Amino acid sequence: MFLGRVTGTVWSTVKWPQAKGLKLLLVRPYRLGDVAPGAVRAGGEASEPTDDLVVCADTLDAGPGDDVLVAFGHAARVAVSEKLAPGAKPDVPIDAAVVAVVDRVEIDREAGR
Amino acid sequence: MIRGTVVGQVWATRKARGLDGQTLLMIAARDADGNPSGRLVVAADVLDARTGDEVTVAFGSGARNVLRPGAENRDLLCDAAVAAIVEGEG
Repeated sequence: MFLGRVTGTVWSTVKWPQAKGLKLLLVRPYRLGDVAPGAVRAGGEASEPTDDLVVCADTLDAGPGDDVLVAFGHAARVAVSEKLAPGAKPDVPIDAAVVAVVDRVEIDREAGR
Repeated sequence: MIRGTVVGQVWATRKARGLDGQTLLMIAARDADGNPSGRLVVAADVLDARTGDEVTVAFGSGARNVLRPGAENRDLLCDAAVAAIVEGEG
């Protein structure tokens, strides 16, 4: 998983039928230097994240400006399929999904040096 | 797996059901020279790792095997987990 900020949305009409109804968000991962110590949720002291954008499915109604956790791979499909239909097989054609809208981050950048 | 340092923790109320009860730590990954690469990973922790601890993080099915070993763990929502707290290296 990674922590990132939602910067926008993507939409498409041509896609796998299993992906119908899935909202896609653009998320920018935070890097070590981006997150201020004791940073709080979106709009707080954290600086803008700077890494490559990741496109991920959203089932939590996150929007631009939200800080979110994104899971990859099978974990992303588990999160999405549980939302689409409880107990459904995780066979949606996605590999990244928003799994949490972050309330608070506590970080000690010095510990990473 | 990667090697990294625990630098903090994340909290969320609005989250996928599968994340309920998981402790989520922020890990600063280290590069080949042992220096922080800048990449931050969020990983589930069941080993009670603390800020400043050197750890290894497993991904994918390796991560699920940390939370619940065995073939019947594909229902878990976990793609990264603290697999070990590192004491030394040679």
